[in-house]
Parts: sequence; structure tokens; C-alpha cells
Amino acid sequence: MNRRDFLKTTIITGAAFALPGSPNPLIKALEAAEKTDLVAAHGLSPAAITKTAIDGLGGIKSFISRGDIVVVKPNIGWDRLPAYAATTNPEVVSTVVALCYAAGAKQVKVFDHSVVDPRRCYKQSGISAAATAAGGIVSFIDERKFRDMKLPGVVLKSWPLYTEAVEADKFINIPIAKTHGLSTLTLGMKNLMGIMGSSRGRIHQRIDGSLVDLAMKVSPTLIILDAVRILTANGPQGGDLADVKLLNTVVAGRDQVAVDAYGATLFGLKGSDIGCVVAGNKAGLGTMDLAKLKIKRINV
Amino acid sequence: MIRKIRIAAQGIFLLTFLWLFVQTESKGADDLGYPVKIFLDADPLIFITTIFSSHAWYDTFSLAVGVIVATIILGRVFCGWVCPLGTLNNMVGALQKRRPPRAPLSLHWLKYCLLIFLIVASLFSLQLTGIFDPIALLIRSFSLAVYPAVSYATKAVFDTIFNFNIPVVVNASEFIYMIFKKLWLPFQQPFFLQSAFLGLLFLIILGLNLLEKRFWCKYLCPLGALLGVFSRFAFLQRSVSEGCNSCGACTFDCQGGAAPALKEKWHHTECLLCMNCDDVCPQDSVRFGFFQKTQSAPLDLGKRRVVGMILSGITIVPLVRITGINKQAGASEPKLIRPPGALEEKQFLTRCVKCGECMKVCITNGLQPTLLEAGLEGIWSPILIPRIGYCEYRCTLCGQVCPTGAIRKLELPEKEKVKIGLAMIDKGRCLPYAHATPCIVCQEVCPTPAKAIWLEKAKVMNGNGSELNLKQPHVDLELCIGCGLCEAKCPILGQPAIYITSNGESRSKDNQLLLP
Repeated sequence: MNRRDFLKTTIITGAAFALPGSPNPLIKALEAAEKTDLVAAHGLSPAAITKTAIDGLGGIKSFISRGDIVVVKPNIGWDRLPAYAATTNPEVVSTVVALCYAAGAKQVKVFDHSVVDPRRCYKQSGISAAATAAGGIVSFIDERKFRDMKLPGVVLKSWPLYTEAVEADKFINIPIAKTHGLSTLTLGMKNLMGIMGSSRGRIHQRIDGSLVDLAMKVSPTLIILDAVRILTANGPQGGDLADVKLLNTVVAGRDQVAVDAYGATLFGLKGSDIGCVVAGNKAGLGTMDLAKLKIKRINV
Repeated sequence: MIRKIRIAAQGIFLLTFLWLFVQTESKGADDLGYPVKIFLDADPLIFITTIFSSHAWYDTFSLAVGVIVATIILGRVFCGWVCPLGTLNNMVGALQKRRPPRAPLSLHWLKYCLLIFLIVASLFSLQLTGIFDPIALLIRSFSLAVYPAVSYATKAVFDTIFNFNIPVVVNASEFIYMIFKKLWLPFQQPFFLQSAFLGLLFLIILGLNLLEKRFWCKYLCPLGALLGVFSRFAFLQRSVSEGCNSCGACTFDCQGGAAPALKEKWHHTECLLCMNCDDVCPQDSVRFGFFQKTQSAPLDLGKRRVVGMILSGITIVPLVRITGINKQAGASEPKLIRPPGALEEKQFLTRCVKCGECMKVCITNGLQPTLLEAGLEGIWSPILIPRIGYCEYRCTLCGQVCPTGAIRKLELPEKEKVKIGLAMIDKGRCLPYAHATPCIVCQEVCPTPAKAIWLEKAKVMNGNGSELNLKQPHVDLELCIGCGLCEAKCPILGQPAIYITSNGESRSKDNQLLLP
């Protein structure tokens, strides 16, 4: 998008908003997009379905403003190649990074607090190379940038969180859908553990409440669930290609609970089977009842 | 002139050594991209004694043989021009500006005794060379003490500035810090057991230069002694012409203490080819040239010393192997978790030269030097201490940098199968067992494709008398490879509720739990 286009859109949008109730087609389109809660895009190109899913929610510009500092948080937790579905699809990540820049973002930062050695995770997952190629600022976690922060929480009152993640203008969560020994599945809310410092293994003692508290605090602008490949067993680290299922799907939404509830259906489960989804629903973080949501399914 | 070329060469070799040392670190791929162990490969002492002790040839011999050939032709050029420890000794020695008031100690025979001792011991399967070999010693000291200390100090300075957070200053310092990180700082601060001890030993070796320049090289270095023997009849000879008036100007500057002023009674085997005598000679009467007929004093240790050292070399073998530690070491020592690809313990010890390369490269810092866990002869050999760092599932770097094949270089599919031990669960400490508290961290992180930790659904009673559903972990003895990731991440700190023992390690026939 060039400057002229930008000005034009801004003026038209401004004019449209200035005339409430007018039958302007643009407003109708905006309202329709507003109403779509979830988009599940299906297709062979991870880049194309990622873009389609975001477009289905109203396009990247409804999330990212000019000059924003954006944090894109994929799952780079493990030392696995992309085919093993233990880490977020690198193409999905690079597409989101590129879209953010296209929407005028000032900086797009990409990082994760890896579980095993970060050098290996960043490299082997392919995310470091892909995100860098798209212009993303890929960095390893710097221990000095964790700060004890208050959470509006029930279980966790405070925890050291990564300042760059919390202080960013916009936070885009890009989890990958996987099984997990305790929380059954690891989806969007579980992926937020990647901004936690300290001995975060302890949160498994009361995982559901902790994740909801964390999700309340971080409150991502947009959640893009990578289900290009999903890991159906031996998660979250995987390691056996037989456990990987190719779904060629990307799910996008604003509601953390809804995205995770939809994610559960990819495994033949329901949102109500996942502890943190139930807890999130109860705490008012979002809606797990998919019947109440407007879901668009698009084939690309 | 030649002296300047020599100093330049020393500088280049030292910088190459340091550069390769810094590159002995993962960048995320499973290879390092540089021949980081090249100085160890070129070390003839390690080469010869390893062949003696392990009764096996090893493939990377061309450089070591090259150094031997170079020594036969030129003399101890390796010591004078190449050896990075020699250069460091030079640099520290340069601090000593004035001629010391006393006569030099002339203990040259000491290093030959040490050499005989090491070679005889290696012939009887005891490999102690690594403790004294200059290259192994230097890499070990740098890896385990010097580099961690310098890194710690640097980080502390930058962190202090960062925490003060003075606007412009912090930007500048962070910029410099970033460059340092890219150029030479480690990815993460290394921590090692015995680092202070090893650092102190190294400081003493450097400090001896203040007593006498190149003290180590002249009197202690067994590699220097070996090369001295090879250089005895080197083709390149030094001659002193008639013009010499025995002014003695060359004596103090001679790096090897070879008594160059003594003309035909000088010690050729101590000459490091530094060319200082040529440089300082006011009469310009020193020449180095090929096929000259010159005389020098013979290398004579005396029969008693030779016989004494041979006997010591033999006696030491049973002596170090009859300690109480040896009784428990080996097959059943639970803490002796060797790196993946390590040979069976006895063979391992005949090869390991304690150079510390594997510990330097270990991606998690988990490989640590032993003190007595592997017996006296195993001092400073590598063991994995999972509490400090686990064994990264898809990493094979330690086997790639091992100079003697004590740790075999494994291909990834083999590495993923090699067991270095087994995990055991301590039910008295484990949260779901002992404390009615959910936790699955060990299962979550377990890296084997089919998880080696399985969860059993269990109903337990908590303190309030109410029933609780949770999952209790079990170790699959067949699948567990003993990598220690579970132990490293177990939330029970201090003494973890899951821990690795060496039991079940692939390399041992005896140290097994299960029927084959």
C-alpha cells in the first residue's frame, strides 16, 4: 500500500463514519467483517490461507495501525524441524510479519522463550530465517528484560513477564495446535507461556487458572492458530512424523477462548474438554460456545 | 627481521587459536563450520601417547605427523612460532624487563623426565598426557576458567550500565555489548565445577614467567621435550662464526635457555628457533642454515633419571587404579554419566586427554569436569550433570570436537538412540505422588518421539480429605535415553524428583538394568 492509497482509504473511511446510518456499502462491509468471529481458511499454501484468514476478519489493517510496534509470538519452543509440527509453521509466521509491515507497522518483533536450547529451536524450526527474511526483528530472550508484573488474576497475582511482549502496541499470538499431557491440547492460551520468565514449570500445578490470568494480562490483538500440520500424539515436543496430521488450515480470531475452542474441534474434541477454555469462558475472557459465533470457513 | 616475522607468525597462530576457540560453540545447526580442534590434531604428544595407550590408530594424524616432520627438518619451530601457550608465556615473560640477578635454574631435564614418565605410563594403558600437554592444558584452562571468568566480568559491567539506565550511555554500551556478543562472548554464561582451581593452576603457569621467561616451555612442557628429541639432529642448524667474542648478549634473550653463547656446547634441543640470538648479536656472527656441520651439547639426562622415570611410569599405573574410588567407579558408579558416543569406560580413559573441548561445546553447559568420580586417572574428564545442563536430543557436537575419539562422532539417527543413562523417579519428592499436586513437566519435555515417560491417571486424597484426579509419571525403561531434560526441568529444585543414573548406558555391557 502506498501513501496515496492510504490517504484515500483514510478519507473515505472517515467520511463513511461521519454519516451514521448511511447505506454506505463500505460500512456494511465493515460491519459484516466485524461480525465474523472466527475464520478457518483451508488450502495448500500456508501463506495464502494465513492471508485469507486475516482478510476474513477484516484484513490486517483492522488490527495493525501505522507506526505500531508489533510482537508476533510463534511457538519456537522445541528443537524440531517444521515437518514435525512441534513449532509454528515458518511460512505462517513470515506471512504475518510481512502483512504487519504492509499495514504500516514500525517494527515487528519475533521471539519465544524456548524450552530447550534457543539457538537450536530458532534455527531448526525455520522460523528465525523465515521471519528475518520478511523483515522481522528476531531476537533471543534477554533475561534482563523480564520484569515482575501484576496480573489481574485469581491464581497468579504476579509473575516475571517479558517487557517487550507486554509493552508492544499490538501482540499477535501464533500458536500451533498440538496435544499436551496435562492441558490435553496446547493452543493459543498455552502458547502465552512463552513470555513467562522464572521457573514457569510450576504453573502446571494450577495450569488452567494460570493460563486464563496470563491471557487476561496479555490480551492479544489477534490470534492465528496454525493447523497446517497438527501434532496428534506425544506432544508438545513430538518427534515422530506418524503423529503429525496435515490439515492445511489456519484459524484466525480475536477471542482467545473461541479460537482455542475451535482448535479443539480439529482434534475431534470440544472446547469444554479443555480446562483453560472452560476456565476462560467462565472468567469472561471469551466465548467457548461455537454455536453463538459467526464462523467463516473459506477454501483457498 | 626474522624476529619480527616470528612475532607476526606467533600473533597469527594465537589469534587463530582464540578464534577457533570462540567458534567452538553452537549457532543452532549441528555442525560448527570450523576445524576447531586443529591444534589438538597437530599435537604429536597426544597423537603418540593415545596410540600407545589405546592400541588403536586414529584418522586425523596428518597434522601431527606434519609437525614431527617439520621438527626433524627445522627443529622446535612449533614451540617458538606456533604454540599458543608458548606465545602467551612469551607475552607474560615480556613483563620481565630486567635481567634477573640470579643464574637461570637450568632444569631442562625435568621436562624430559616428565615425557619419559608419560610415555611409559601410556605404554601401560594409562593416559595422563592430557594433564600436562600444553594444548590440552590451554584449551581446558580457557574453556573452564579463563573464558567463563572474562565473560562473567564483561557481562557484569554491561549489566551494571544497563541497570543504571542513563539514556545515551546505555545505548552506546548496549551497542558495544551487541558487537561483543557477536564477536567473542559466549551465547550464555558458562559455569564449571573446579573453575577456580583450574584457573589458579593456569595463573601459576603464566606467573612462572616472572620467575624465569618461558619457565613452562623450558622446564616443564612434555610436548617441548618430545619435539626437543625430534629436533636433536634437525637439518636446520645454527652456526657461530669466528667473530663471536663471547660477549653473552644472546644469553638473556634466548627463549629456550639454550645457552647460545657457549658455541659448540650450546643445547640445540632447547632452541626454539626464535632467532633472538641472530638479532641481538653485536658481531652479527650467528647464522642459521641447512646442512652445516655444527656441534652442540648432547642431550644427557643421566641413567638414574631415565631408569627412575621408567620405573615411575610403570609404578603409577597400578597405583592410581587401586584407590577406593576405583572399586565403585566404572560399571556401577551412578553419577558417571558420560557424553553420548563415549567409549566403554576403560577404553574411554585410555583416550580422553581432558582437553575440555566437549565441555566448551556442550550446548547446555551440562558436561562438567570430574574430580574423583572416574577415579584418579579420570580427573577432568567429562560427565553430564543434568542439574546444570541436560543432553540436547538432536545435538552431536561433543563427538565432533573430541580429538582422540574418546567420544565417537555419532550421526543423528544413532545419537537419538544412544542411552547415556536412565531416569528414576523419587516418589517421596514427586508432586503428584507425594504431595497430591498436579505436575507433568517431565513428561511434557521428554524428547523421545514416543515419550519415555508415561502418565498414569490416579485418584489421590489431598490434605482436606477430598479426592483429586491427577496423573502420575512413570519411566519407560526401554525408551528412556537418560538425556536428563526431565531432571533439568523438574520443578523440585535442589534434589529433583526425577534424576538420571548411568545405569543402562549403551556403552557398557555390565551397567545394565534390563535383560537384553
